Amino acid sequence: MTDLLVFQLRRVLRNWQFVLFSVLLPAAFTVFFTQVFGGQAAGGTAQDRADFQRYATDYMVSMMAYGAIGAALGATVRLAFDRHSGWLRQLRVTPVPTARIVGVDIAVGMLLALPSVLVVALVGRFVNGVQLPLGTWVVLVGVMWAGAAPFVALGLLLGLALDEQAAGAAIGILGVVLAALGGLWFPAELFPPVLRSVAHLLPSYWYGELGRGAAADGVPGAGAVLLLAAAAVLFAALAGLVSRRRPLFAVSG
Amino acid sequence: MTAPALEITGLTVRYGDVTAVHDLDLELAAGETVALLGPNGAGKSSTVNAVLGLVPPSAGQVRVLGRRPREAVEAGCVGVMLQHGGLPSQARVGEVVRLVRRSFPSPWPAEDLLVVTDVAGLVDRRVDQLSGGQRQRVMLALALAGTPPLLVLDEPTAAMDVESRRSFWTTMRELAARGHTVVFATHHLEEADAVADRVVVVAGGRVVADGSAAQVKASASGRTIRFTADPATRFGGLPAVTDEQWHGTSVTLRTADPETTLRALLARHDRLPDLEVRGASLEDAFVSLTAAAVTTATPTATAGDPR
Repeated sequence: MTDLLVFQLRRVLRNWQFVLFSVLLPAAFTVFFTQVFGGQAAGGTAQDRADFQRYATDYMVSMMAYGAIGAALGATVRLAFDRHSGWLRQLRVTPVPTARIVGVDIAVGMLLALPSVLVVALVGRFVNGVQLPLGTWVVLVGVMWAGAAPFVALGLLLGLALDEQAAGAAIGILGVVLAALGGLWFPAELFPPVLRSVAHLLPSYWYGELGRGAAADGVPGAGAVLLLAAAAVLFAALAGLVSRRRPLFAVSG
Repeated sequence: MTAPALEITGLTVRYGDVTAVHDLDLELAAGETVALLGPNGAGKSSTVNAVLGLVPPSAGQVRVLGRRPREAVEAGCVGVMLQHGGLPSQARVGEVVRLVRRSFPSPWPAEDLLVVTDVAGLVDRRVDQLSGGQRQRVMLALALAGTPPLLVLDEPTAAMDVESRRSFWTTMRELAARGHTVVFATHHLEEADAVADRVVVVAGGRVVADGSAAQVKASASGRTIRFTADPATRFGGLPAVTDEQWHGTSVTLRTADPETTLRALLARHDRLPDLEVRGASLEDAFVSLTAAAVTTATPTATAGDPR
């Protein structure tokens, strides 16, 4: 189990694009957009400081979500690549059980969502000066990490269902759609009404809500928790169905 | 008496309405080196995939060292070189070999494995940077990684040049000498002839001949008689003749009993210029065996190469 886990982690982390999109880019956005847009509110008054805090916190949460979604999807969709190369078929004729291969990829997706969340939190705290009680920080990081689960399941579903090229394209497009329409780049409150109702259908919006609730109240909203849990169950169930119809070790194409 | 290395009874593999393997029986004793010889689409890969549990049999059963295929694979009894196997991207050769080695209960000693398979110089290499021949060597290292009692190789030398091919078979002979059972699918007659102590010819999803290379040659078509004659002549009615082929004025008769055929020939013809009588090569045997199987087989038994 640990052998395969270490092996897979190494492979993913060797991919500089993965590290760029899941950690470096969200961290850089956190600094840049908070300083550019939040900076306008940073006047001398108490009201200005409160506005800046609210903006900086919300944007930090959005980037935690953005980075973790990228990490979760990017790590798990690799199943499609490993199937295409014949590696899964090769592993199938070793004593490594297939269930473990999937289990390890789920673990890798969850593990790699954590650095995205942590690094953005650290940048938010120490570069942008976001002030939250210690307990709230712990809860925030915890729920944002756990909230990556539906996206791990979604990546797994895509990795199982799609062939190599389609899977590669799908995560690129999906990452952008989930972030943009889910209100992670620009707050959904600024959207026109139609787009706002679209945002409310996306798990990425509720992922952002999860973090905003945790940061504001110290506990995430029940609605966000329930919707994300439902999404995780739905995607996992679909992934299960797909894997039954199309075994991992089948030759692709 | 230990369980046979491989025991296949009544194996039938169907893909939709295509029957790739048709009621095939085969038993391999431990320590044998067996070639599964057949043309493309004969059912070799399907048989191999059923032995490994990669495709479920439509009928019949497979036992690997007395176990079901999946159990045998998960217990580390089988080492495999697949035709459609592959190596993971963004990994180093050493990491891949180490991962697979450690998944087996009785791994081959690491240093020795790299030397035997000639992979030692590649351990720090990225998998994506390997040449075709180097990839095959790494695949062989993975197949041997668990010191498996049974080695299953599906067209192992397909991507190899002559030199790699030769050293590959040298390694295989050494393994056989150490007591490993080796079964390999091939359509290279020379390989089957040179390496295997038993040749199983498969065509149309059935076993059409089984024995040593010499026995297969003998059983298939006996001998050939060749001489020069007027192309208008026909020799089909001669006793024991099973086939007649013309190349210009040269006729080749295949016969089960050359003596009888020759007597009859000499009784009818004064002269048989350029007369030559010889035993069939394995290639002759192969062609006649597989051709016979294809003509007698039902249409569904002549399946294409299953993917």
